[in-house]
Amino acid sequence: MKRAPIVITSTAAGLALVLSFHTSPPSSGVKTATGDTNGGKSRHPTASTSTTTGSTSATTGSTSTTTEPTGTDSARTATGSDIQYRYGDIQLEVTASGSKITDISIVKDGSDDGHSFQINSQAVPILQSESLSAQSAQIDGVSGATYTSAAYVQSLQSALDKLGIQ
Amino acid sequence: MTTATECPQALACEPIRRAESVMGTVASFDIRPGPVPPGLVYLALAEARARLHRADAVFSLWKTQSPMSRLRRGEIRLEDAPVELSEVLRQCEAARAASHGWFDPWAMPGGVDPTGLVKGWAAQQALDVLQLAGVPAAMVNAGGDVAVSGQPEPGRPWRIGVRDPWHAKRVIAVVSTSGAIATSGTYERGEHLLDPHTGRPSSPIASATVTGPDLGLADALATGVAAAGEAGLDWFGDLDGYEVLIVRHDGSRRRTPGFPSAA
Repeated sequence: MKRAPIVITSTAAGLALVLSFHTSPPSSGVKTATGDTNGGKSRHPTASTSTTTGSTSATTGSTSTTTEPTGTDSARTATGSDIQYRYGDIQLEVTASGSKITDISIVKDGSDDGHSFQINSQAVPILQSESLSAQSAQIDGVSGATYTSAAYVQSLQSALDKLGIQ
Repeated sequence: MTTATECPQALACEPIRRAESVMGTVASFDIRPGPVPPGLVYLALAEARARLHRADAVFSLWKTQSPMSRLRRGEIRLEDAPVELSEVLRQCEAARAASHGWFDPWAMPGGVDPTGLVKGWAAQQALDVLQLAGVPAAMVNAGGDVAVSGQPEPGRPWRIGVRDPWHAKRVIAVVSTSGAIATSGTYERGEHLLDPHTGRPSSPIASATVTGPDLGLADALATGVAAAGEAGLDWFGDLDGYEVLIVRHDGSRRRTPGFPSAA
């Protein structure tokens, strides 16, 4: 017997990770908030609907820039804190429309030994798909989901806080 | 940040999701408050989160001063330890019996180690708190050990994916459940499945997923089956309400007849 049929094959998981958005989309409009590490200078005047998925380590320490409302249905992006953890550091960027998260990408995945890379390359996609598909109607959660990085969640939570998704 | 909206009822309609970094993993909550007042829901959520952190504080073997660590070193007696310790160890005994000795915290190197049951037990406690508050439906997922109550939407049960052992982003099955579901496999980082009878690593199958009414026992049974392999299927005839799905190393599966696959 081969690995067979079942229901959903390549659908992502849905761990309902993260996110504490209970209601009230924060004010509509485009809003961007960027990382809060150690107050550097770079800005992220993001006002787009989708986020880029950088995996470089370009974005540490930036100041908060908040571009307030313009428009209607909000696509907002926020970069989370750069969080140190056992195998390196990680920083995420979250895009939300209203109180719905539409994308999560990694702006920094700083680890240079092979070990870390292996862990991140496994953990991050799991977490990304879990976070995103938590919002899909098909699956509410995943059993056996696993290696979950606290650092990822911290960075994500800080991005959500900036977006006012709480 | 909550702002007053035109529709105060909106709070009741929207799911509340919350992630908690605890027990070396992430525990997430998905709460459907229904008619329960938001204040009460948040109070219950705070208590549920506190239960998880307390379980971590009491049972962590990484924390050298946790009561569990101290008990292992013989610095405190069970009678002097927090009550949760006795409760969890009692459940461990029951799980050891149910698994015919394949889940055996007393056979672990370094002293009694209830870790295989604690995460599930703690998540179940957290869910119980929400249920006590009257929350009509909720899910607590502690790093892949999932406990649910009620239905997320009228007429629709919770649908939980079972992780594909080889592809982290995929699920190999979807389970409709009204209770608990736990999966154990050797793919998990840091997971060392030991054969309690020999003390040697054992991974006869790729993963084991157990469903049933209580997440503590489901968690322990999943660990036991993952170490025992297909022989574990035989235990379930005597376990009322518990079912198992096994994924073999070649990708094929076996399950007990009542395993609740979703349509």
